[in-house]
Amino acid sequence: MHRFANPTRFLKFARPATWVCLSLGLLLLVPGIYGGLFITPPDYLQGDSARILYVHVPAAWLGMAGWSGLAAASIAQIVWRHPLAFVAAQATAPVGAVFAALCLATGSIWGRPTWGTWWEWDGRLTSMLILFFLYLAYIALADADRERGGEGRIAAIFGIAGTAILPVIHYSVLWWNTLHQGQSISFVRGESSIAEELFWPLPLTAGGFTLLFAAAVLMFMRAELARGRVEARLRRQAEGQR
Amino acid sequence: MMRPKQQRLVLVVAALVALGGAALLALWGLESRAAYFVTPSDIVAGKVEAGVPLRLGGMVREGSLDRKPDGVTVSFEAVSGADVVEVSYTGILPDLFREGSGMVAEGRLGADGRFLADTILAKHDERYMPPPLEKAQAAGETLER
Amino acid sequence: MNHWPFIIAAYGLTLGGTALLLLVAFVRMRRFEKRAEELKRR
Repeated sequence: MHRFANPTRFLKFARPATWVCLSLGLLLLVPGIYGGLFITPPDYLQGDSARILYVHVPAAWLGMAGWSGLAAASIAQIVWRHPLAFVAAQATAPVGAVFAALCLATGSIWGRPTWGTWWEWDGRLTSMLILFFLYLAYIALADADRERGGEGRIAAIFGIAGTAILPVIHYSVLWWNTLHQGQSISFVRGESSIAEELFWPLPLTAGGFTLLFAAAVLMFMRAELARGRVEARLRRQAEGQR
Repeated sequence: MMRPKQQRLVLVVAALVALGGAALLALWGLESRAAYFVTPSDIVAGKVEAGVPLRLGGMVREGSLDRKPDGVTVSFEAVSGADVVEVSYTGILPDLFREGSGMVAEGRLGADGRFLADTILAKHDERYMPPPLEKAQAAGETLER
Repeated sequence: MNHWPFIIAAYGLTLGGTALLLLVAFVRMRRFEKRAEELKRR
């Protein structure tokens, strides 16, 4: 757990990891996107619009996984006072927010030709929108706390409490009647109701976007650590001049 | 004696459990109100008042779609389980509206038990597969080879 | 209804959004790491 507590040691890992994530992510994404757009057959009912699946599902998964990561970092921050935990949580928030927004936007674009509406206040859509707002609230809380010189304790508690939305999003299509269809892929049962011919690009795009997500988080973390170094050095210089 | 680290861990776990419980209770209270639509079964069971704006969701029964001579008025039967409600609608149906597929109608229940829809949305299920024609063709090609 | 404008919009938004996010993260990282390096050398 504390192996990466030392920022120098973390950077030794993060510098190459950033480039590995970026290049490997692009490597997976290119065939995934190409396959999803041009190779897979259209869906029997939805036709070509079903191709939006290959960007919508990864965005949804990363929007939710992002908050799980943020919450895990927040727990490490509160319980173990891990020095990198707040940095990690803060770096994850904007990335998760972007993917949650992309999920909502692509879903809306998908809804128009299939359901016949851009937006409906059903359980799935509404709970995903709430997750997006939670990200914005976390970013505002963390920024405000940092400006006051705090350690982001309140933001961390908010990050942990916010996990309550994740099961709501996941089970919304089971608990309530929703316009959104039920889940196609069950990791627990290892089943998928997506035919093989249409399924194969999805792991590629999901893996690709996940690696790019990780690259963005690593870059934001490195930015934050460098900013800390700059501030510390400037403070020392100012003190030395006095 | 617990170390402060363990104390904080216990505290966080307790907070998570309390949070989960509170969320479950809230959702339980929300249960029916969070439903996006009612089903034909709800209407047959008499749970729905006539004239109140609401959404009705169900499957479009095979062979029940009836296009009226004016070209824009349709009627069809929405089913859930064994329960059936007749829906009438004037307007353009979404592309994905099919017999044997799902739909959500916005409107109100008439006094005669028919549902008068102002808007119709298509609802699809979680299955994705190639069109049957292509599948048959692909099978034919492999047979030919 | 022709689906392709919708498909292009969804893919364009996702790929463009991801690219922009990576660019912002990269520029931010570059700026602070450069400044930290400059201060160290002085």
